[in-house]
Amino acid sequence: MQPLDFKDYQLDNFVYDEMFEADGSARRPFAPLNDLLANMPTETAVEIQDRVTASFRKEGIAFTVYEADKSEERMIPVDCVPRLMSAVEWDLIEAGLRQRLKALNLFLDDVYNSLKSVSDGVIPADMVFDCPQYRSQLRGFTPPRGTWVAVGGVDIIRASDGFKVLEDNLRVPSGVSYMLANRAAIKSVFRRLFRDCRVRDIENYGQELLRTLIELSPGGRDKPVVAVLTPGIYNSAFYEHMFLAREMGAHLVEGQDLVVRDDFVYMRTASGLRLVDVIYRRLDDDFLDPEAFRPDSMLGIPGIMRAYLKGNITIANAPGTGVADDKGVYAYVPDLIRYFLSEEPILDNVETKLCRNPEELEYTLDNIDNLVIKKVGESGGYGMLIGPHATQEERDEFAQAVKANPADYISQPVLQLSRAPCLIDGKPEPRHVDLRPFVLTGTETRIVPGAFCRVALRRGSLVVNSSQGGGGKDFWVLDN
Amino acid sequence: MLARNAQALYWLGRYLERADHVCRVLQLQVAALVDKPADEIEFGWRRIYFGLKRLPPGGLLSHSRDELTLADSFTLAGDLTFEPSNPDSLRNCFDIARENARQMRHCISTEMWLSLNRSYLEFKPLDLPDIWKSSPEEFYADATRDFRAFFGIAEATMYRDAGWDFLLLGRMIERTQLSISLLAGHDAAAEDDQDTRESDLISLLRIFHAMEIYTRKDGSEFTHDAAFAILATDEFLPSSVIASCEAVAVSLSRIDPGPEPVCSGALRSAGRLRSLVANELPDAEDQSVVLAEAEAECRSLHDILHAGYFEYPATNPPIG
Repeated sequence: MQPLDFKDYQLDNFVYDEMFEADGSARRPFAPLNDLLANMPTETAVEIQDRVTASFRKEGIAFTVYEADKSEERMIPVDCVPRLMSAVEWDLIEAGLRQRLKALNLFLDDVYNSLKSVSDGVIPADMVFDCPQYRSQLRGFTPPRGTWVAVGGVDIIRASDGFKVLEDNLRVPSGVSYMLANRAAIKSVFRRLFRDCRVRDIENYGQELLRTLIELSPGGRDKPVVAVLTPGIYNSAFYEHMFLAREMGAHLVEGQDLVVRDDFVYMRTASGLRLVDVIYRRLDDDFLDPEAFRPDSMLGIPGIMRAYLKGNITIANAPGTGVADDKGVYAYVPDLIRYFLSEEPILDNVETKLCRNPEELEYTLDNIDNLVIKKVGESGGYGMLIGPHATQEERDEFAQAVKANPADYISQPVLQLSRAPCLIDGKPEPRHVDLRPFVLTGTETRIVPGAFCRVALRRGSLVVNSSQGGGGKDFWVLDN
Repeated sequence: MLARNAQALYWLGRYLERADHVCRVLQLQVAALVDKPADEIEFGWRRIYFGLKRLPPGGLLSHSRDELTLADSFTLAGDLTFEPSNPDSLRNCFDIARENARQMRHCISTEMWLSLNRSYLEFKPLDLPDIWKSSPEEFYADATRDFRAFFGIAEATMYRDAGWDFLLLGRMIERTQLSISLLAGHDAAAEDDQDTRESDLISLLRIFHAMEIYTRKDGSEFTHDAAFAILATDEFLPSSVIASCEAVAVSLSRIDPGPEPVCSGALRSAGRLRSLVANELPDAEDQSVVLAEAEAECRSLHDILHAGYFEYPATNPPIG
């Protein structure tokens, strides 16, 4: 039987490969994995990949796409080759995440209260107040423990010059269930390697999340009742909502399960109405409360914002956090870190041009062939142009849109995300990857040493979003 | 336990029991196709369709066997197993039960989910020709075994909170209703025939797993009254109507009284049901009347549960 063939595995001087040095030798943390794969028969590797895929299917780790007359269950593809990282590199990322989330929480408290960052000119006022995610209903409010973002998911890439933050997800970041599911699946197929590599444990994420939420509960209540609020089974992340509720032993509620009475929130149990203390919501602000936000929301709970503003319930993440993960505000995060913490950012941003500024608009339009242009209100890889990969027609179309509404766009250089080996049709091939670690903030900050590692499975693609051909792989932080 | 989750678990129990019942009756019916005479096979189909209160495809179900001869056994088995427009087909029961379980994974054990999902994934790609060309009775036997394995795993692994009680309650109400309905279906089908065949009673006993106990208690003479006495009122037979009624009462007694004073209403309803089966059915001049009353009581109990535990008004005072 032929071992896995790495001879066609392409290395590129301009793209960091997570596993291999430029000369083709394995990087130190990857050496045991490289030894294993280099001696593994192709049939065995394919069998392992099949087992991993089958385990996802068996576990029902899927999202359901509902159409008019049928529904289809789809899986986020998972690649069986783990991505490894040394403790030193991870510790740097972790420190950077702690710093970033601390600053972002302070920023959020500031924009809804004293507005010093605006009056001191750190960030333009219109950047805050014109942001569709700024919620005036929260003016003058501070959530329990000053924590606006209890759960943050930060997208991190490794470019040729180091780690960079690509995006902050501060509203309802998803993917943590895949981090844990990938770990469970891969650990069972690489048992010996996993043990030998001394991989840091992430399985306590559910308990850490529960601790965080309990710390944020309204004061004075024993054994607070925690619930995960889901839009329901039609939401593509429903599996994750259910998974987290199960991990925490929390209730999984929909809007229809909750009622507000005298500004307290109750859930309908089989025994009657029972008080709820903390809601980990996986529902966008817009749909949370038809009395406060979109009046046509059928998913929300009328009156929950009244209860929230009176301090009778905790909603995590707090409504209004979206102003801090706006793609325009992103450009100011390094300055916000300096302003609020008097520290230099540990993790760099990707250089970002704001098209709202005339000279940066001109630069963007002049260099559209070489830039990534993003619409600030979009996510999931949508509303984005990757200049070098686009046709002239697409670039012209995007340029028109940018000119018409420059404030809606930012531009960034095309970064070559690092690559890691994936098993594609029985052969190891490099694919671009990123990381989404999760930061929990209660009375203290908790970060489990892991992340949802997203992979652009299409050859040459830089888009890792699952909605656009992306998949996942397990991510191992080595203990030493 | 959220009211919506309690309801979903209740229905999970009902749908899996219904699927189990459909498999059990079909297992014996398709086995009969091999060596039983045509009139006995026809009787079996009539009993099944009367019991499920469904019209067979291709004709109205009247008290005339001619209607049933319009459709052959393949079609009838397909109607009950895979037909999407039949809400009680095995496929629909399985789909709904599995979807309920998928949504309730945080309320059931991992082992329960894995067991159900594995069975579902095996069943999903199948169609009638797939099972017909090998051994259809084996397919139905395997499916029955899977459903019962699910409840066995639930017994061993599920946390004994209200969710467990609602799961069992749904299962037992469904079993009670289907058992009563099958007995009524048997009598309705027998009305067509001039002579009651012994073989029809034997196949009925087999559906309830009661053949051995019958011969042990009553010997080799098969009479309608003796068979019905066991199937309806033998408390030691797990699939008897009275055993199901008892299980309903036990589950009900364990459930928290609920937001309205429904529990007493539900217990009274379960008591009436038990009384009908245990006291009135054996001596009734016309058993079909009592069976119809018992079926109505099952529906009434279901309505009480629904209004009291699942969809009560949100204006009730909070608890705790």
